[in-house]
Amino acid sequence: MESTTELMHGHQLPKPKMHFRMQRLLPWLIPAAIVIGWQLSSQVGWISSATLPSPVAVLQDGVSLWQSGELQKNLSVSLYRATTGLLIGGSLGFILGFVNGLSKVCRGLFDTSIQMLRNIPHLSLIPLVIIALGIGETAKISLVAIGVLFPVYINTFHGIRSVDPELIEMGHSYGLSRWQLFTKIILPGALPTILMGFRYALGVMWTTLIVAETISASSGIGYLATNAEEFMDMKTVIFCIIVYAVLGKVSDLLAKMLEDLCLEWRQAESRS
Amino acid sequence: MTTDFLTLQNIRKQYGATTALHDVNFNLKQGEFLALVGMSGGGKSTTLRLIADLEQPTSGTIDYAEAQPVVRVMFQNDRLLPWLKVLENVSFKSRDPQVQVQAATMLDLVGLTDFASVYPSQLSGGQKQRVALARALMAKPQLLLLDEPLGALDALTRRKMQDLILDICHKQHLTTILVTHDVDEAARMADRIIVMKDGTNLYEEPGLGGKTPEKLGIVAEQVLQDIMGPQPDVKGVG
Repeated sequence: MESTTELMHGHQLPKPKMHFRMQRLLPWLIPAAIVIGWQLSSQVGWISSATLPSPVAVLQDGVSLWQSGELQKNLSVSLYRATTGLLIGGSLGFILGFVNGLSKVCRGLFDTSIQMLRNIPHLSLIPLVIIALGIGETAKISLVAIGVLFPVYINTFHGIRSVDPELIEMGHSYGLSRWQLFTKIILPGALPTILMGFRYALGVMWTTLIVAETISASSGIGYLATNAEEFMDMKTVIFCIIVYAVLGKVSDLLAKMLEDLCLEWRQAESRS
Repeated sequence: MTTDFLTLQNIRKQYGATTALHDVNFNLKQGEFLALVGMSGGGKSTTLRLIADLEQPTSGTIDYAEAQPVVRVMFQNDRLLPWLKVLENVSFKSRDPQVQVQAATMLDLVGLTDFASVYPSQLSGGQKQRVALARALMAKPQLLLLDEPLGALDALTRRKMQDLILDICHKQHLTTILVTHDVDEAARMADRIIVMKDGTNLYEEPGLGGKTPEKLGIVAEQVLQDIMGPQPDVKGVG
């Protein structure tokens, strides 16, 4: 790294280096401008703190929530619901996608039904779930699981169905067993699409959880926000929204890392 | 030479209403290098796919002298697995140390030892086909089927690959069938050339089998005439 910068200094004007820095800063320009503008207008008094508290006030509220332990408690409850729901719905979708992708009989039996259910917006099931399962943990976890199931299913199914038939033919003619065909050709061939579905499912997971927690809960980040709303506590409401943004970004980053880890060969492809 | 390794009798292949092959008969001796040439749609690739057991003939018989011979196909496109590195592609990522050693030997044979741990996408077209060749040779096949594997390569790379394949086939006494539309390639490499036309084996010509390159022009011209048929009398038509 050092040698490259030296090279740049030696042979060229510092212009390219500036350009490089600019490119890294560019995505953060608008968010930073908004926050600064927001803080300034709060300080000057253009916006009343009752409608929109300043960023600093929101941050202070977050710190006090942390100090009282409330943030950690609700955050861990939300994380528990999210991951349990993801695990259940994700594995169900994955298994269904797999068997339907591989077996003609299963495809005939399940696919039409799943496609019909898929078109129901899963959030419209909230009243049904509340009546059937109450407002306990089961209800919220089930909702997340249902929401996550379909994107995982569709992408797993599609990923398996679209593996290059020529590669499967080659594997078959080269004497690979069914299991080897599956582990060495079908699964790795479907993996990019499967991981794409997983990444999308993470987004659905948070959206579902937020709605579920907002409607009926006595804990969780969604509850924290709804509760604050009743006391007209704008600082906490905004802080919760920021927590969601951070959670979404972090889970997307994790999914991206998983992709990079599993799909090393794709990077080699894009490099060449 | 010795006994027939493979015999095709009265082979017919239909796809719905279209007949791809209507009557194919030929035999192949142990250690022989046979080329199937002809225009597209003549049935040469279909014949190869039947021999490779990738498809079944509508009627007729394909008989091997041995009970279960190891047959390997090298396809027109390399069909390497993009998610496996070069060596893993040859060994199918086997954990068996013996298989790994064998894969390394095969890679050495095609001259790609230095590329063992790169992904196929980082190789050139010719290098990819050499990996595919190494992979095909892994199981020590008794019959090697080449389905126009050099079709997409540039002339120079193609020539190098021809020499490499010939060299390996001769050294290992491989029985080989090459499908190609390149008459020169067939004349140069094969011991015997079968001209496929309209779904049947119409003519047979002796090939050079890698020897006496000065006769290439004569053999190629003869094969070409077989494929094109008697030249129409241009004056008479006009």
